[in-house]
Amino acid sequence: MLKLAIKSLANRKTSALLTVIAIAVSVALLLAVERVKEQVQANFANTVSGTDLIVGPRSGDVQLLLASVFHIGALNNSMSWQSYEKLSQNRQVDWSVPISLGDSVSGMPVVATTTDYFKHFKYANRQPLELQSGVWFAESEQAVLGADAAEKLDFNVGDQLIIAHGTGGVSFSEHSGHPIDVVGILNRTGTPVDQSIYVDLKTLEDIHSGETAGDAEEHTDGHTGHDEHADHHHPTSAISAALVGLKSRQMALFMQRDINTADGEPLTALMPGQTLQQLWKTLRVFEQALNGISAIVVIIGLLGMLTILLASLRERSREMAVLRAVGAGPGTLFTLLVTEAVLLTVVATASGLALLYVLQISLAGLIQQQTGLLFALQWPTTAEWLRMSFVVVAGFLMSLVPAWRAYRQSLADGLTVKV
Amino acid sequence: MASAIEIDRLAFAWQGDQLTLDIPHWQVEAGETVLLRGPSGSGKSTLLSLLAGINVAKQGSVKLLEQSLSELSGRKRDRFRADHIGYIFQQFNLLPYLSALDNVLLATRFSPKRRQRVTESGQSAEQLAIQYLQRLGLSATQQQQAAANLSVGQQQRVAAARALLGAPELLIADEPTSALDSDRRDDFIKLLLELSEQNNTTVLFVTHDASLGQYFNRHVELSDINQAVGGSSHA
Repeated sequence: MLKLAIKSLANRKTSALLTVIAIAVSVALLLAVERVKEQVQANFANTVSGTDLIVGPRSGDVQLLLASVFHIGALNNSMSWQSYEKLSQNRQVDWSVPISLGDSVSGMPVVATTTDYFKHFKYANRQPLELQSGVWFAESEQAVLGADAAEKLDFNVGDQLIIAHGTGGVSFSEHSGHPIDVVGILNRTGTPVDQSIYVDLKTLEDIHSGETAGDAEEHTDGHTGHDEHADHHHPTSAISAALVGLKSRQMALFMQRDINTADGEPLTALMPGQTLQQLWKTLRVFEQALNGISAIVVIIGLLGMLTILLASLRERSREMAVLRAVGAGPGTLFTLLVTEAVLLTVVATASGLALLYVLQISLAGLIQQQTGLLFALQWPTTAEWLRMSFVVVAGFLMSLVPAWRAYRQSLADGLTVKV
Repeated sequence: MASAIEIDRLAFAWQGDQLTLDIPHWQVEAGETVLLRGPSGSGKSTLLSLLAGINVAKQGSVKLLEQSLSELSGRKRDRFRADHIGYIFQQFNLLPYLSALDNVLLATRFSPKRRQRVTESGQSAEQLAIQYLQRLGLSATQQQQAAANLSVGQQQRVAAARALLGAPELLIADEPTSALDSDRRDDFIKLLLELSEQNNTTVLFVTHDASLGQYFNRHVELSDINQAVGGSSHA
C-alpha cells in the first residue's frame, strides 16, 4: 500500500512537491515560534544561577530583574550604600555583591561592581565566570570585558577605553578624562554578561566625582547624590542593585517579605526564577497570538493539500477503476488516499523540521550578534514533537474527505471509467 | 460438469420499465471458451457489469462458479472477484506509473487466494509474471518500463498477463482487441487461449467482431439469449 501510494505520488510530482513545500514552511514556522520561546526562556533562565535574591530600589519586580541582570530598561531610583551595608550584614546573608549601572561604552553596558562579583556570580548550571585572557580587575581604572563586548568594540587586554554617561549608543557626555585599562576578557557565556563591561565601583565613583563640579546635573539620573569623595569607607554613595546569596535558600521567601515591608528606605527584593515566571506569564498573550497565527498557516497549508487531493480525484478515476478491477475494494482505495495524505504530511513535517534546523544553524550567528541570545542546537523537545504530531493528525483528518469521496466514487463507477 | 457462469430468469432495467436484459437461462461450463458477440448497445456492458458484480440484478440470479453474486455483501463480492475472476478491458487496464511487471503483480497483491495458487505452483509471483510477460512477447527491458510508455498492444498483453496470474477460474475479456490490428489481434487471442488452457481457466470473450469465432469452443450471439427488445442505451 505504501509503495503504491509513493509511486502514485511520484506520478504527480509537481503538485505533491508544492504541497510538501507549503506544509513544510508552515510547520517550520509553527516550530520556530515554540523554539524561539523555549530558547529565549532557557537563555533567560541560564543568566542567573545561584543568586537567591536581587535587592534594589523600590520598583516592579520585572523591571528590577530586567534592568539589573539583563540590562534591559533602566531603574529610576537607586539604593543607598547604607541600605546595602545593612543588608549585607544580615544574619541570613551569605554573600552580597553590589552593582551600579547607567554608563556604557559604545552601547555596551558598564557594570560597576566589586571583585566579589566574579566570585559569586554564576550562570547556567552554577557555572562561574572564567577569563579568556588577562586578569580580574584589582584596582580603579581597570576593566574586564565580556566576550561580545571585546569582540564588537575590538578591544584587547592592554587597550584603553572611555566610559560614556548614559546607556545609549551615542553619548554626549564621555568621561574622556578617565581612560580605563582593559585588563581581562571573559569567556563566552551566552548570557548578557558577554555584552557587559565590568569595572570597580570605585572607578565609576572616581570618574563621576572628578567631573561633578562641572556637570553635576547631568548625573542625577544614573548615580544619585555624590557625597564629597572624602568618604573612604564607602566606595560609592548609592548602587543600582545587589545580588544576594543566602545561607539557606529556604529563607528566600522570608527575606523577600522582610525587605519589601521593612521600614526605612523603600526597597524591592525578588527571587529571579519566580520573577521570570511572572514575566513569561505577562508575555503569554503574545506567545499565544503567534501560536494562533502559525496554526492558521499550517491549516492553510493542509487545506492546500486537501484541494490538490480532491482535484486529482477526477483525473484519477482511471487509476481507481483499475485498482477496483484487480480486487481492491472501496475500503482499499480509502486507505490508499489516507496513506497518501499522511505520507505527504509526514514528509512535509520532517522537511519543516529540517528547515527549522537549517534556519537555526544559518541564523544563529546573526541572532547572537543582534540579541545576545544563544540558540542551542538540540533534539526536538516534547512540545515540538507534540506540535508535529498535531500537524500529522490534522493531515490525517483532512485526508478523510478525499478518501471518502474516492470511496463513494468507486462504488458508483465500479470498474467503468467516466471520462 | 460444473458451470462457470449460470444465469437464471435474469431481468435488469437501468431505469423505468424498459428492460435492458431479459435472459431466461444461459450457462457456460467450466473450461469452456466462449465468444459472446453483440453490437454496441445490445446490453453487453450491462451483462458484464452484472457478471463483475458491480451491479446486482433485482430479479433472477447470476451465479459465478456456483456462487450467487446477489447473496454476497459488497465487500465479499470484491473479494470473490479478486480471487476468482481475471478481467481484461478495452482500455484503462494499467496503472500508468507502475512498471509492466508491477502492474501484473497487482493481481496477487489484493488477492491472498491468487497468491496462494501462485505459491502452490512452486514459483514466486514475480517469476511467474516474468514468464507470462515473456511468453506474451515483452522483453526484460519492456517489463521494467512504466506502463504509460508501452504501446497499446503491449499494454493489452500486460493486462492479459495480469488477468491470468494466479490462475483465476474465470477470465472475462471486454473488447480487448479493439485497439489492435488484425494480425496482432489474432496472435493475442491465440496466446491468451493457450495460457488459459494451461491454467484451466474458463474464458468469456465479449466483442462485436464475429470473425474471431473460429478460435473459441462456442460462439454465442447476445441477441439469441437476451429477449429484451431494444437493448441498452447505456454504453
